[in-house]
Amino acid sequence: MSRLEAKKPSLCKSEPLTTERVRTTLSVLKRIVTSCYGPSGRLKQLHNGFGGYVCTTSQSSALLSHLLVTHPILKILTASIQNHVSSFSDCGLFTAILCCNLIENVQRLGLTPTTVIRLNKHLLSLCISYLKSETCGCRIPVDFSSTQILLCLVRSILTSKPACMLTRKETEHVSALILRAFLLTIPENAEGHIILGKSLIVPLKGQRVIDSTVLPGILIEMSEVQLMRLLPIKKSTALKVALFCTTLSGDTSDTGEGTVVVSYGVSLENAVLDQLLNLGRQLISDHVDLVLCQKVIHPSLKQFLNMHRIIAIDRIGVTLMEPLTKMTGTQPIGSLGSICPNSYGSVKDVCTAKFGSKHFFHLIPNEATICSLLLCNRNDTAWDELKLTCQTALHVLQLTLKEPWALLGGGCTETHLAAYIRHKTHNDPESILKDDECTQTELQLIAEAFCSALESVVGSLEHDGGEILTDMKYGHLWSVQADSPCVANWPDLLSQCGCGLYNSQEELNWSFLRSTCRPFVPQSCLPHEAVVSASNLTLDCLTAKLSGLQVAVETANLILDLSYVIEDKN
Amino acid sequence: MLSSMAAAGSVKAALQVAEVLEAIVSCCVGPEGRQVLCTKPTGEVLLSRNGGRLLEALHLEHPIARMIVDCVSSHLKKTVDGAKTFIIFLCHLLRGLHAITDREKDPLMCENIQTHGRHWKNCSRWKFISQALLTFQTQILDGIMDQYLSRHFLSIFSSAKERTLCRSSLELLLEAYFCGRVGRNNHKFISQLMCDYFFKCMTCKSGIGVFELVDDHFVELNVGVTGLPVSDSRIIAGLVLQKDFSVYRPADGDMRMVIVTETIQPLFSTSGSEFILNSEAQFQTSQFWIMEKTKAIMKHLHSQNVKLLISSVKQPDLVSYYAGVNGISVVECLSSEEVSLIRRIIGLSPFVPPQAFSQCEIPNTALVKFCKPLILRSKRYVHLGLISTCAFIPHSIVLCGPVHGLIEQHEDALHGALKMLRQLFKDLDLNYMTQTNDQNGTSSLFIYKNSGESYQAPDPGNGSIQRPYQDTVAENKDAWKKTQTYLKVHSNLVIPDVELETYIPYSTPTLTPTDTFQTVETLTCLSLERNRLTDYYEPLLKNNSTAYSTRGNRIEISYENLQVTNITRKGSMLPVSCKLPNMGTSQSYLSSSMPAGCVLPVGGNFEILLHYYLLNYAKKCHQSEETMVSMIIANALLGIPKVLYKSKTGKYSFPHTYIRAVHALQTNQPLVSSQTGLESVMGKYQLLTSVLQCLTKILTIDMVITVKRHPQKVHNQDSEDEL
Repeated sequence: MSRLEAKKPSLCKSEPLTTERVRTTLSVLKRIVTSCYGPSGRLKQLHNGFGGYVCTTSQSSALLSHLLVTHPILKILTASIQNHVSSFSDCGLFTAILCCNLIENVQRLGLTPTTVIRLNKHLLSLCISYLKSETCGCRIPVDFSSTQILLCLVRSILTSKPACMLTRKETEHVSALILRAFLLTIPENAEGHIILGKSLIVPLKGQRVIDSTVLPGILIEMSEVQLMRLLPIKKSTALKVALFCTTLSGDTSDTGEGTVVVSYGVSLENAVLDQLLNLGRQLISDHVDLVLCQKVIHPSLKQFLNMHRIIAIDRIGVTLMEPLTKMTGTQPIGSLGSICPNSYGSVKDVCTAKFGSKHFFHLIPNEATICSLLLCNRNDTAWDELKLTCQTALHVLQLTLKEPWALLGGGCTETHLAAYIRHKTHNDPESILKDDECTQTELQLIAEAFCSALESVVGSLEHDGGEILTDMKYGHLWSVQADSPCVANWPDLLSQCGCGLYNSQEELNWSFLRSTCRPFVPQSCLPHEAVVSASNLTLDCLTAKLSGLQVAVETANLILDLSYVIEDKN
Repeated sequence: MLSSMAAAGSVKAALQVAEVLEAIVSCCVGPEGRQVLCTKPTGEVLLSRNGGRLLEALHLEHPIARMIVDCVSSHLKKTVDGAKTFIIFLCHLLRGLHAITDREKDPLMCENIQTHGRHWKNCSRWKFISQALLTFQTQILDGIMDQYLSRHFLSIFSSAKERTLCRSSLELLLEAYFCGRVGRNNHKFISQLMCDYFFKCMTCKSGIGVFELVDDHFVELNVGVTGLPVSDSRIIAGLVLQKDFSVYRPADGDMRMVIVTETIQPLFSTSGSEFILNSEAQFQTSQFWIMEKTKAIMKHLHSQNVKLLISSVKQPDLVSYYAGVNGISVVECLSSEEVSLIRRIIGLSPFVPPQAFSQCEIPNTALVKFCKPLILRSKRYVHLGLISTCAFIPHSIVLCGPVHGLIEQHEDALHGALKMLRQLFKDLDLNYMTQTNDQNGTSSLFIYKNSGESYQAPDPGNGSIQRPYQDTVAENKDAWKKTQTYLKVHSNLVIPDVELETYIPYSTPTLTPTDTFQTVETLTCLSLERNRLTDYYEPLLKNNSTAYSTRGNRIEISYENLQVTNITRKGSMLPVSCKLPNMGTSQSYLSSSMPAGCVLPVGGNFEILLHYYLLNYAKKCHQSEETMVSMIIANALLGIPKVLYKSKTGKYSFPHTYIRAVHALQTNQPLVSSQTGLESVMGKYQLLTSVLQCLTKILTIDMVITVKRHPQKVHNQDSEDEL
């Protein structure tokens, strides 16, 4: 019996940000994300009381997808970070921390939301235009003719994910593998429009990280027995491949909406099998060497093909279909009848391979942009983390290919940017306030909140009680260990800045990050020699960081603009 | 006991409810409005400033509140805009009414000790007021709109006849609309995006056909992409389908497409039929035939240069295979809306695989400029360059935003703007009645109107017209009393017109009235050309009323053009016999229309103007009820600009603005608005009538009875009646 149920009234709350509950939940979220940030970030163990495996991570994507937030404001915040991460892979924690900091700092000021939002937007566009300008002092061009900067970029990503549990040597090894995998996806003779290939990550858990490797082509996992049954092919020329997307199991295909009446004694199975064997004969006469099928191949057909020295592999699955099509240059066949000769493709060679306890059938391409990255790690959780990290790194490399610039990492970009904004709002407020009703004081207040939000982000890089300083020339970040003796001689304590571009041999002045210092002009235009000579830089992806910055400010503005929250309790 | 379940339905109760709602909506009204976060029962989060959505999301329990929300949603069905203003206005009206009762409470208390009695007395009083409100809304409001307010209207069209949209006006209109609908960081960007979109999509200058198409297919014409900043939103030439190619073959040159709505591959049996298999060979031959047939169809399509197959159903593997072999890209599983949009754009009917094959040309193909995959944030879409056969040039909007809730808000706002523009293209009929109980009756409105027209005249002119006006009234009175012949009436009434004629050439070099009431010179809009029609005019008693109607015509037309006036004046000179009504009451129905595209500057201009003219009208009213109702409405109207100017200080604060506006109206100077932007008069007018209707509904309720029982399904009586 259906019953009409009266809807429960919604819960309506005004000025949600001022309530204690929201403040506490926001600060809890902030504590979680800040403690994860950076190479020395703390790991989080997430487990569900109802079962499932335990996830150990410090990455925003894994963290936020496992967290269950209930408050609508937090939902907005986490959703916007997750969306950012799913489009750019990197800089999720940066975005989250910056957004929380901005909300917290601005709330303390007690200015009207209109003013805050307007000025935040101005400051954001100031940052964006600076980071995109030629004079920007914290970005470097990426040279694709040498691997040095690309390696730095990948290494920075790997080191910032401590849950991968990599040693320095392993980090070097995996960085090199990732870069190789990426380079293999770039077509050799590309003119104009480049279509990148794909790196397939093949799991190999329980092995040493050092055993990870990159192979061109595709690995299809198989049991040892199956593999033994495959007869070795000895052929000097390329192998002819037929790739089927339709089932070869002998089901009668869909017969329409009406009814089909089968007379007694008529066996459709036999009829279809006849058809399949005919197909097999055509494949033989077309000199096909390898038959791959997304779905199931009828055992009789399989045996028939094997008898004629054709390798038949079925149940490939839909995920491998696209890379296979691309690699072999075939046209997936959807017909049991005549096959067009131009639907066949080719591979250079095939072989069997054994990695760890797993057996693979390896298709080696003639020239193709598909490669397999065999990724090893000791246990499941570390492997999951490493896989995510590799995907991030590959994505970042793709983004960098589109926009060949990298930002200085290790917090130097943030401190530099904060110094730039302080200087700009101090010396040239009119250009920012052009036609607005805001006053200069309001601008100073918001700019200070904005800069300290940026600086707090890098402040959370330090988890071991050390001090963070900034120099007064470049505006870079320098960190001092916690147990170092008291302020005696800075140059002795500080060896290198966060990104590794400068060392303390120069005559520099330092100040504590959160102390008030007079605004200064951070030196713009990086010296070219410095970039070339530096071999071990920490770098960030420009595209991801720019978007992260925008998303953080936009989301903060959105949350600050809320006047009511209406919760539907149905 | 009944009293435990029943509560007196009173203005006070309604006011309390309305005030709660006002508190919520007033925080997101106007350019300074803020966002509201709503959660859906599914847990999704939605950002909104849309009044209608907010009221619905509240799921209110209070019966009066539910009634108000119902009224708002039925208003929104008509006009799509103004839910927030609705609540604010209603609240102020209720406040005004409540103030009256408060004033009268004390004497009542003394008279009636029994509270019940007082309640019933109040109720009957409310009923009177509600009737007065209804009378006002149906008979008086239109007249005030038509006769006083209309001279301030501007038009969105740069040419009224062809309804050519003026870009700068459209920009101002959209900007003002989005100010109230999206977050303040984004309203400029979104309104610019919308404006660009229209001008990119329109082939000719007038956009109504385009608006209709875009409105009907809005969902298909925009793509939401999360995870990118809002500023990445853009317009893409061509149509973007939210699907991926199931087969993609790059192609160029002469490309044609076909639409299919069923599988191309013939099936064994269609529904309702039976296929009898007698032998295995028969099965194999039929399969072979099916394969060959499919192959042949695809080959044939290929020979006709068809490079794209759009299908509303999933095609079998066989079709995809032969499409691929023949270099045909395939897009499958399109929704019926998407198919109908494509068909509407290119005017193509679906392709039906021919039964018997010939080498003839396939009739149902269309040329395509391009078809390629489009990647937006690592998701693939189909991007089609259709060649339009209608006024709409296909473009798609890509809306980006950090969260889905924000994109949804923007989509909602864009769709609302479309509906608002569609409304703007409609004419509005105004019907009103001039009713008089005493003798000078009909003339009062007209004559007053004449003096209204003289507003543009310099001071001496003004005076000269004011005087004859009074004379007329006096003489007219006599005329009615003595039941004079037509000549007398004529001579009386002609006086102001003669005055007008003498003054028109003097004050305006060109005779088009457009120049005389240009209100805001800074706006680039052209002032509205008036195309008022007076076509119905009838004394209550069926007199021979030719003289009246000519007179009515003349006055109306004389406004428009001097030449016509002369002619009609001649006409009125004709000896027409006229019997004057011998009863004291006379009613005259007038109807005219408000042309499409009427706009006013934002910032409470409409409200202040109507307030001003209503007060003037109230002064002339003779009935106390009418006066009171007009006063209450006039004062409540000011509530809206008060909210809008809440955060402004000094010169721009509400009192200053109001005084400036009234001063300008009194001295016939153009009104200057501190805000740029335009809003539709039509929407405002309909809002006003909806609120008044809602208020009458509230006032007629005397008691609310709570029933504690599960709601029962109401059978649809209407449908049974129809049977």
